[in-house]
Amino acid sequence: MLKKYYEEMKSGLEADYLHKPRAWTRMNIQLASTFVEAYKENAKVVWTSFYSFPMELLAAFDVVPFDFEIATNLLPMFDADKAVEIMNRAEEDGYSTDICSFHRLAVGCCSLGYMPEADLMLTSSYYCDGKAKANQSLAEHYGKKSISLDVPNEISKESVDYVAGQLRRIAVKLEEVTGQVFDLNRLRECIRVSNRARRAYGQLADLQKVTPYPYIGVPVVNMSIFGNKLAGKEIQEQILLDMVKESREKIMKGNMVPEKYRVAWLAWYPTQPTNITRIFRENGVSVVMGELARNWWGELDEELPFESLALWSLKNPYVGTIEQRLKGINEIIDGYKLDGVVHFSTDACRHSCAAQKLIGDALKKRDVPYLVLDGDMSDKRKYSPDRTQLLLENFIGVMAGRK
Amino acid sequence: MPGAFNSIGYFCSLVPVEIITAAGLKPLRVKGKAETTAAADAYLYPNMCPYIKSLFADAMDGGGSACDGVVFTRSCDGMRRLYDAWKAYVPNDFVYMLEAPKNCDDLAVEYFASQLRVFALQLGRKSGVEIKEHSLAEAVKTANHTRRMMQELYSRQKKSPLPVSGSELFKLGLEVLSGNGQDSAGRLQSVYDNVKKQAASGRGRKKPRILASGNVMDRPGLFEIIEAAGAEVPVADLCTAARYFERIVDEDAHDIYSALAAAYLGEPRCSRTATPAEIYARLSKKVKEYAIDGVLLTSLKYCDQVLNDIPYLVKQFTEAGTPVLFVENDYLFKDSGRLRTRVEAFIETLEN
Repeated sequence: MLKKYYEEMKSGLEADYLHKPRAWTRMNIQLASTFVEAYKENAKVVWTSFYSFPMELLAAFDVVPFDFEIATNLLPMFDADKAVEIMNRAEEDGYSTDICSFHRLAVGCCSLGYMPEADLMLTSSYYCDGKAKANQSLAEHYGKKSISLDVPNEISKESVDYVAGQLRRIAVKLEEVTGQVFDLNRLRECIRVSNRARRAYGQLADLQKVTPYPYIGVPVVNMSIFGNKLAGKEIQEQILLDMVKESREKIMKGNMVPEKYRVAWLAWYPTQPTNITRIFRENGVSVVMGELARNWWGELDEELPFESLALWSLKNPYVGTIEQRLKGINEIIDGYKLDGVVHFSTDACRHSCAAQKLIGDALKKRDVPYLVLDGDMSDKRKYSPDRTQLLLENFIGVMAGRK
Repeated sequence: MPGAFNSIGYFCSLVPVEIITAAGLKPLRVKGKAETTAAADAYLYPNMCPYIKSLFADAMDGGGSACDGVVFTRSCDGMRRLYDAWKAYVPNDFVYMLEAPKNCDDLAVEYFASQLRVFALQLGRKSGVEIKEHSLAEAVKTANHTRRMMQELYSRQKKSPLPVSGSELFKLGLEVLSGNGQDSAGRLQSVYDNVKKQAASGRGRKKPRILASGNVMDRPGLFEIIEAAGAEVPVADLCTAARYFERIVDEDAHDIYSALAAAYLGEPRCSRTATPAEIYARLSKKVKEYAIDGVLLTSLKYCDQVLNDIPYLVKQFTEAGTPVLFVENDYLFKDSGRLRTRVEAFIETLEN
């Protein structure tokens, strides 16, 4: 069933791209293609976390990466009722409604046999306990071993060695799965490619500082979640450079949507249909930067590939103490001329939401309006369009009052 | 500063109490005493586990100062955020995050050992007592002795009728964890001596035997409900019961920190690191050893780690023909009426 959605998504996007070749469409084609590939008979499928696993290591092997959270949670975009029906299945199997809808949907899809089989099931200890545990449950279902890249909260020589050591062992697992011999030079090349993409991303992030903001909607937020799937592959740099080119053209032509308010988005953007984008568009609100879309990682060192990938993991804004996260939020405030910050609060996302008071206090000190927008990523039963409208309109009113 | 820094509170079984003891300090497993968590709601997200909220509410009410310092571990996402909030809002002089890996292989043990060394160094600086290897070795022996006594008590619970009621043994374990020093050691010794003297009578009505399993619990509410309903709890696989006392540190190890790391990351493991299949294997072994009639799984509300394991465990026990009940709890056992009804109905099915 999911396979059919991905195939339709892919063919639809490809048709769009022929008609109007946009970089963002190309990025989405890449995502849909991966999911379609994962169902092919001879594919070596590695389940992983696109947003938190150093994908350069996977790019050094001929594998198809598959993120069960992102893959299954595209479904509410197409059919939110069907997604609820599948979540119901997980709930009937005993999964509490207090568990994140992202994971209930994935577990439900698994029970119903909608998922491609995995050759290796990798995840990371971050962003959340829920994903690591869901990976274990799904691994039990398929009779596989769940492997978690454990990333500590502190950065030291010891923690870098610890994470790098795990990555070396994962490379051995990838050798076993693919039958390929690990090629250090190929990994180094993936790292060089990733560094070039990072530089292209830096240009894009700088262009987003322009007023009005050249990109409409929330691609920047979504890209920070699934764009890392392409890390280590040439196409990532190509797409990012296309985005830079498109942005420059828009700026040169002055072809941008009028902008009244600039906001940063914290945490995730819902995958189910919502009224958020419409409300923003009607009120001239641009989401100019996402918490994870910031260029937070440094250049990777190809001479120390495992250590630099370990450091990439350790520096993630969602790893470490709140100071690491606040530092990133402050950098966005400093760089992007913000009118406000919106924190999407999906109710089971304890690691993100539990910091709301601390973030709110930090933003208050900087006199930046802050909205906690509660809702749910993919469960329509837990999303209220009326409440969202009320909260957003009030918040826009606050921003208007400060102009 | 002798006299000014005496006790260290901790919240998770992954904190090696031996290091705290070796620094000349008293380790206290911190309980959330607050009967209402409203004070925490203004600071913490509402959908956080009630244990975390109770701890924070109590700390905001001044309870945090009951310890001179506190040690957190990366137990779960909630604890990470509690650490952040504690540092920001609770006036504690020493708030430490001990990095405990979420894996348990040799790499994890090596990394954890390095973090334990750093912890010992920092704690030694704070307490003014440098932690020496021989004092740590002594602390390991003492802690092992206590754990062995508790293990022996639990082992004797395999008999029927129980030498000690489940609730009494649970409360004894809590006393030991709450660090009442001489008092708890004396009481443990006394119970231990009494039980050793007892000969199994083999008489008395056979009561349904329940294995309770879940995360942290420091109120005997559930035990009392089970016992009032006519059943008994020979063993409880909880962070604050048998699971904690099953861990023994290798006293002859070449490197004491590596031995501590291996023991604390090793078996028995909780949902944080163990897979549901590993947990089922451990629990089903206990079902046999303790002649268990039914398994009661419980979890703190909003605990992602345990809640994700429950469907697998329920399915496996059901398929194995072992009656099983899952109940969420609110830590404070304020909803005991509803809990009592469900537990009584479960025990009734066992009796039938």
